[in-house]
Amino acid sequence: MKEKSSEHSEDQHHEAEIVPETFSEAAPDSIFNRFFLEVSSLATFTLRFFKEVFKPPYEFNELISQSFLIGYKSVSLVGITAFIMGLVLTIQSRPTLAKFGAESWLPAMVAVSIIREIGPAITALIFAGKVGSGIGAELASMNVTEQIDAMQVSGTNPFKFLVVTRVLAATLMLPLLVVLADAFGLFGSFVGVNVHGHVSTYLFFSQVFQSLQFQDLFPAVVKTFFFGFAVGIIGSYKGYNSSEGTEGVGKAANSAVVFASLMIFIIDMVAVQITSLFQS
Amino acid sequence: MKKDTGNKIKLGIFISLGIGAFILGIYFIGQRQQLFRSTFHVSGVFQDVGGLQEGNNVRLSGINVGTVENISMVSDTSVRVDMLIDESTRKFIKKDAVAKIGTEGLMGNRIVIITPGTGGKAEIEDNDTVKTVQPINLDEILTSLKNTIDNTSNITSDLSRITGNIQSGKGTIGRLLMDPSLAQNVESTLINLNEGSVDLKQGLSGLNILIGDAQSGFAQNFDSTLINLKESSANLRQGSVGLRSLIEDARGSVGQNFDSTLINLKEGTAGFKILMDKAKRSWLLWGF
Repeated sequence: MKEKSSEHSEDQHHEAEIVPETFSEAAPDSIFNRFFLEVSSLATFTLRFFKEVFKPPYEFNELISQSFLIGYKSVSLVGITAFIMGLVLTIQSRPTLAKFGAESWLPAMVAVSIIREIGPAITALIFAGKVGSGIGAELASMNVTEQIDAMQVSGTNPFKFLVVTRVLAATLMLPLLVVLADAFGLFGSFVGVNVHGHVSTYLFFSQVFQSLQFQDLFPAVVKTFFFGFAVGIIGSYKGYNSSEGTEGVGKAANSAVVFASLMIFIIDMVAVQITSLFQS
Repeated sequence: MKKDTGNKIKLGIFISLGIGAFILGIYFIGQRQQLFRSTFHVSGVFQDVGGLQEGNNVRLSGINVGTVENISMVSDTSVRVDMLIDESTRKFIKKDAVAKIGTEGLMGNRIVIITPGTGGKAEIEDNDTVKTVQPINLDEILTSLKNTIDNTSNITSDLSRITGNIQSGKGTIGRLLMDPSLAQNVESTLINLNEGSVDLKQGLSGLNILIGDAQSGFAQNFDSTLINLKESSANLRQGSVGLRSLIEDARGSVGQNFDSTLINLKEGTAGFKILMDKAKRSWLLWGF
């Protein structure tokens, strides 16, 4: 407990060093101050993650357990969502393409949309909603009930056991979920195409892969690692640093989802800029 | 412990499926880009590639057989396009094959279209350069289209002027269509024509009658003339017979008279000869 307190005070000391004195003195509770405090705390938390992740001992069993909970348990939700997204996107796009007599372009257009953007972004948002809030709420409740302190007392590094495993699991599982979501989305699109006409499976997927290139697939998959990392680290940060008792659990879960979703869009925007930079 | 193992198996299945789907995606995309096939390189030099990009399709007889691997500027007027083509199609591409840049559909991507070449020629080889045809430039089409539109505009303005003139009754067609007096004239002409045609009809019927009458009178005269002619010819025939007998008779008496005359003349000339001989010898006519 004492160690934990000292650690907290050390964190706060670091924060005090990073935050400009003028801000904290002028208006300690102002939005700007709170924002920059949050940013510095998150940066410190992230740095600590990178320090801990390479340091033994490695919590493989917990990593596998978390991967199961974060990855496998999300397949059904992500799969159904992606299927519906593919189906809806196809049905909604059809009339516009039909106006130009370009219905045959439907598989190609939907495939590029799903692989490049809809698959990664929608899956990451659902992931943030399900996993980010879960991690935030779980760690916050552990924090409130002093389980984290208890772990520290028992000699286990709570950051390594709780945070590193969850963040790693989120980072590694989201790309797999996105790939599966892409597959489900394309299948949904295939069903959508066949609602109004008849296109064979072979022709549909032939057109899909005819329209896709490596520069569509790779940047989309690479950015999902960052999405997963953002969801894991923000969820963990919000939960690990929660306060205000049981009320803080809800707040941590809520702010984890909101902040993670925002981060997903910011990362997406940066990824698109970088991708277009390399493609042009 | 048992549940933990089950979870691990499920996680393993999930990870395998995810990685498998990713690998399949890479395979199918790579297959399209000839990544897992035996390929050969062909290049072509164009003046203008018209927006062709690396990765665009290469088509042979309408089939995608390869992709554009690289596009590079050779000089200020030429661009080199390197293509990666499926090895199995090499036997169909001859040395005189021609590459041109086309469009996939009306608004689609740019593609390279290769026409295979003539049958007798040798197969194309790796790193060969094919002949190229310059693509149709959209700007040129638009310029041509602009000229056409300008011409059409001129034609329509002319047509507009002409129709205006027609409407205001100017010119031959205008007067024809718009002048009411002309229509009245035409109408009166038609009435006159109608009346004239009635008169003509009557005249023709009178003429028919006249001709009919004339025909009947003429026939009678003709008949009588023929009869007269017949009689005359019969008379003539009789006359000729009489004439012939007359001639024959005349010929007989004249011949006789002529013979006697000739005999007389012969006897006379003989007597005259004797007389002349006697006279020659007479002294009275000496000196003559």
